[in-house]
Amino acid sequence: MIRANGVYLRYPDGTEALKDINLHIKPGEIVYITGPSGSGKTSLLKLLLGMEFATLGSLEVMGMPMVKGKTASINKLRRKIGPVFQEFKLIDGRRAFENVMMGMRFLGMPPRKMKDEAKNALIKVGLEEKMASKVENLSWGQQQRVAIARAIARKPALILADEPTGNLDQENAMNILKILHNVKDINTTVLITTHATHLLDGIEDANFLHVDNGSIRVEGKGW
Amino acid sequence: MKTFLYNVGYFHRETWRIVKSNLLSNLFSVLGTGLILFLFGMVATGTLIGNELLAKLQQEAEISAYFSETMDESVALLLVDEIKEIEGVWNARLVGEEESRSQMEDLLGEEAGILELFEENPFAAFIEIRIHLDSMDTVLNEVDNLNGIEYVRDNRAVLERLQGIIGGLKIIGTLIILAVGITTLIILSHMIRQGIYNNREQINTLRLLGAPGSFIGFPFVMVGLLLTLLGGALATILINVLINSGYSSIDGALTFIPLPSQQGLMMNISILIIAVSLVLGLLGSLFGLSSIGKNR
Repeated sequence: MIRANGVYLRYPDGTEALKDINLHIKPGEIVYITGPSGSGKTSLLKLLLGMEFATLGSLEVMGMPMVKGKTASINKLRRKIGPVFQEFKLIDGRRAFENVMMGMRFLGMPPRKMKDEAKNALIKVGLEEKMASKVENLSWGQQQRVAIARAIARKPALILADEPTGNLDQENAMNILKILHNVKDINTTVLITTHATHLLDGIEDANFLHVDNGSIRVEGKGW
Repeated sequence: MKTFLYNVGYFHRETWRIVKSNLLSNLFSVLGTGLILFLFGMVATGTLIGNELLAKLQQEAEISAYFSETMDESVALLLVDEIKEIEGVWNARLVGEEESRSQMEDLLGEEAGILELFEENPFAAFIEIRIHLDSMDTVLNEVDNLNGIEYVRDNRAVLERLQGIIGGLKIIGTLIILAVGITTLIILSHMIRQGIYNNREQINTLRLLGAPGSFIGFPFVMVGLLLTLLGGALATILINVLINSGYSSIDGALTFIPLPSQQGLMMNISILIIAVSLVLGLLGSLFGLSSIGKNR
């Protein structure tokens, strides 16, 4: 699913965000990427989504080399990915339901199926009552759950969730992690970044990577 | 195609949302486009009327061949037959002395009384020859060389001047049409760019979710088409009012000007303006869309 060999990422201002990243993630795996703020977790997800490109090394996602200039191919690849952004990237002025629908509109799904998937995803994240609310009127935690619903409704091959529990209380955070774990049933690979390691204590059916200062320091629960 | 059909309702809602998100600006661009297309409509109307006038005058192109006053009428009729055989002549007939005087009376109108001063009819019989304008030179030469023809009169100067005026109008018209096209494209692509800028967050999110460019861009193309079509509709209304009042004011006063039928002219101009607004709307939108950067 994901293969990285000696990947480096240096931003134009000279900041070295990632150093010598080597990864091999298989389909259906759930991987937690932990580490403090600014350690490179989000940069790694940006590479996987084609928002940034490795300055050195090679990276493949679902067999596709992530290199600059392949806009059309990366676009197609993104349709198989369910991203959950740290800043949510929801569309203001639209209802929660419409935002979830928006992630499926160009996947060739019939309208009825799209509506059903959107509704089910919102029910899963506990927002059944808020489907018709405009996203800007929802709390941060609720907006985060809409973003998660948008990602899972697409039934993607890969979910990239950047701090999906960042704005949630303990109970909701655990529920969201449970939902993200459940997509494993349809062989979806899930990458979750988080700095809230206390939520992961009881989790066994996942792999863990600890990133610090742009490098993978520990594999396993080594924090 | 499947994606398009599944999302017809979405595209419709998005189009109106984009229009409403910048309503005043869009309203001004409809007005601006409408006035520009109205200007185009006026030029097109002038060109259509000019073409009609020229075509009618070309049909009326005629030369007059005068023969010896002593020539017998039967000989003159033979001469008419001979002239009819010349290439470029589509009709020829003998105009007698009385008809010649009567034509002049018609031409002089109220001033025709001056002809009463002549004791005898001063007008000679002649052969009226209708010709194709393009063949004027050869016809003139051949008629002039016929035995019995003493003098040939043509109205070439008038026709050539008219052709010159219409040619000039066509050049001005072409320049105005170019200016209209470029101005509309600039206004519209600017409006589309503005719409894209206003919706940049949404566009960026859709890209990150993998939406194809056609899916993102289609509502903007629809906005471009809608704005120019509304501008075109405004221009059509204005030009039809203008044509209507123009025809009403010259009705009866200038009957000798061969104008095209009012209904036909209004119909043709309306179709032309709407077609031009569609093409410009599509091009302007595509220009505007091409300005979306490769934002990641």
